[in-house]
Amino acid sequence: MLDSLLALGGLVLLRDSVEWEGRSLLKALVKKSALCGEQVHILGCEVSEEEFREGFDSDINNRLVYHDFFRDPLNWSKTGEALPGGPLGALRAMCKRTDLGPVTIALDSLSWLLLHLPCATLCQTLHAVSYQDSCPPGDGSPVGKVHVLGLLHEELHGPGPMGALSSLAQTEVTLGGTMGQASARILCRRPQQHPTDQTQWFSILPDFSLHLQEGPSKEFQPQSDPHIPLVDPMAHLTFNLHLSKKEREARDSLTLPFQFSSEKQEALLRPRPSQATSHIFYEPDAYDDLDQEDPDDDLDI
Amino acid sequence: MATVATCGGDAVGVGSAVATASKSNVTSFQRRGPRVSGTNDSGPRLVSITGTRPSVRNGQLLVSTGLPALDQLLGGGLAVGTVLLIEEDKYNIYSSLLFKYFLAEGIVNGHTLLVASANEDPANILQQIRPVSSSRFGHYYDASKRIPQELIEASKWHGFFLPEKISPTLKVEPCSLTHGYIKLLQFIQNIIYEEGFDGSNPQKKQKNILRIGIQNLGSPLWGDDICCTENGDSGHNLTKFLYVLRGLLRTSLSACIITMPTHLIQNKAFIAHVTNLSDTVVGLESFIGSERETNPLYKDYHGLIHIRQIPRLNNLVCDESDVKDLGFKLKRKLFTIEWVQDNYLRQERNIYPPGFSYLLKQKDSAWGEGSLQHSTFLMSFLAKGMGFPFFQLKLLLKDGFVLIKKGMLRDDSLRCSHSAI
Repeated sequence: MLDSLLALGGLVLLRDSVEWEGRSLLKALVKKSALCGEQVHILGCEVSEEEFREGFDSDINNRLVYHDFFRDPLNWSKTGEALPGGPLGALRAMCKRTDLGPVTIALDSLSWLLLHLPCATLCQTLHAVSYQDSCPPGDGSPVGKVHVLGLLHEELHGPGPMGALSSLAQTEVTLGGTMGQASARILCRRPQQHPTDQTQWFSILPDFSLHLQEGPSKEFQPQSDPHIPLVDPMAHLTFNLHLSKKEREARDSLTLPFQFSSEKQEALLRPRPSQATSHIFYEPDAYDDLDQEDPDDDLDI
Repeated sequence: MATVATCGGDAVGVGSAVATASKSNVTSFQRRGPRVSGTNDSGPRLVSITGTRPSVRNGQLLVSTGLPALDQLLGGGLAVGTVLLIEEDKYNIYSSLLFKYFLAEGIVNGHTLLVASANEDPANILQQIRPVSSSRFGHYYDASKRIPQELIEASKWHGFFLPEKISPTLKVEPCSLTHGYIKLLQFIQNIIYEEGFDGSNPQKKQKNILRIGIQNLGSPLWGDDICCTENGDSGHNLTKFLYVLRGLLRTSLSACIITMPTHLIQNKAFIAHVTNLSDTVVGLESFIGSERETNPLYKDYHGLIHIRQIPRLNNLVCDESDVKDLGFKLKRKLFTIEWVQDNYLRQERNIYPPGFSYLLKQKDSAWGEGSLQHSTFLMSFLAKGMGFPFFQLKLLLKDGFVLIKKGMLRDDSLRCSHSAI
């Protein structure tokens, strides 16, 4: 599933934490799309360009288009090479330029952008960038898919921005793991369909290729899966609905008053002793409580 | 009575006495204005708008929400001139379905549609609407087929897609939060005025209803910060929008559905503000990914539906049902809403044949108001086709159970009550 992440298009959130870092997965996905021949743009805000390019082969490095916002984020040096408008301007420029084929845009990191830009503006821009692939082009030119990979450090943000970005993302990959082995929980939201949730164990090799693995050995699994008690809906009622065995038997052997059984049929067909007067013999049982206010009492039976 | 005697009839009933009285003009009540014959134009026109019907309770004009089950819960339908706010479920699957049902109902009835969205092109939204198999008010939608293209083209609709209406500015500023909302309000106002929904063109041919659908209001894509921040400062734009929108709706023949991702809103007090500013509020909670999926009570359902508010329009009381646990499930053709415990009790149904009424009486307790507070569990064993199972149950048992005499329930206060053994 991890290797087909890029096939879906749209915004992919890589949520990492202090224990399980996500930049290596980001670089692995970048390498993968570069090898597929896509155009790759990197918005580097958090680490320097040398550090990001470290570990990549030269041919991959040649394919990456790197927009550096780490060295001079506020454009103080006023040189010509810095893009106007900051990272937001760069993203918007990429919206307009995607008419050549599939493009992957890697945001390193989305957390940095979220801390420096208003959340609503960022969401609108991300939506504009990743929405490109679903709208049909007017002039018939093939518009390639746009994949936006955003690295998000989930511990830096509150539930508000995280929730807003999650609702915007088509795929959300949460990194975790046990016992030294990394796992990715992939939540895929397809429009109009139920979201799918999968967990994939993986590891990143030194040359940033992705190696998918089976889960850890079985002895760890019972610990990670605590027994969930089955919820009993009859637990907190104010009255008792459980029947003892004797009560259950009595209930099962009951004939209902309105059911027409064979005994009833015979009773009705049996010739009556006297036709002139009708008597009703009524024997109150031990359980019968004569309700004082019973309206039936004034029926003259 | 003298008039009755002069009529000379024998055995004159009350009805004919009244008739004779009115004929001989004893009463001073005169009928004012022309009779409702339906043929001339001067009669009341409201009843002739397709797709609407007057409420049986107070004559309020209602439109269907597209879902007969939801109509029943809301007291017959959605009142014209009001807002239906739907609190979205987490993955926006069922709320967008309700949104589309509302629009599809409009297409089928020939209403004009206005679809506003910030994340999806309104033309795409309309493409996803499913066709219909009809019923008298409100229709059932087949979730597997698509609506025929000619039906969409024949219907009149206006779309508002926010990214097209607003050009993104390059300056990195907190984007003006009211800009998108103001544009939308102006758009709605223009449509209402130009097409005469507010009565501004009295010589127009036929009155029609404008159905407005606004998707994902309050999400960051509208430029609103309310989902991203925790403080209460940024909420004023949305509340002002809702206030102005309600004013526009009240003065026109329109009904509006809004879906809002309230699960993203961090400030819970704000949700109460929004609820007060809307008329009817329905919340959807889906079981996908939540721990409720394992609860056997919710086994066959896809989620819960909460009726948070029903408006009191020209009324002192609102028609709110007592049933709190309503679940919904989406089958291929049908979106059904029912009381959750219904499913659990279905297994008991084979013991008590349908069509009869059964009462459970607790041993040694008297009937009366006490039994109303006594239990919270409704047992519905009776015939299908009833929406909400408020039935009294009468049961004769023996041998270890309570023997109850057959009796009649005295008053309606016991209708909703029951107690178990």
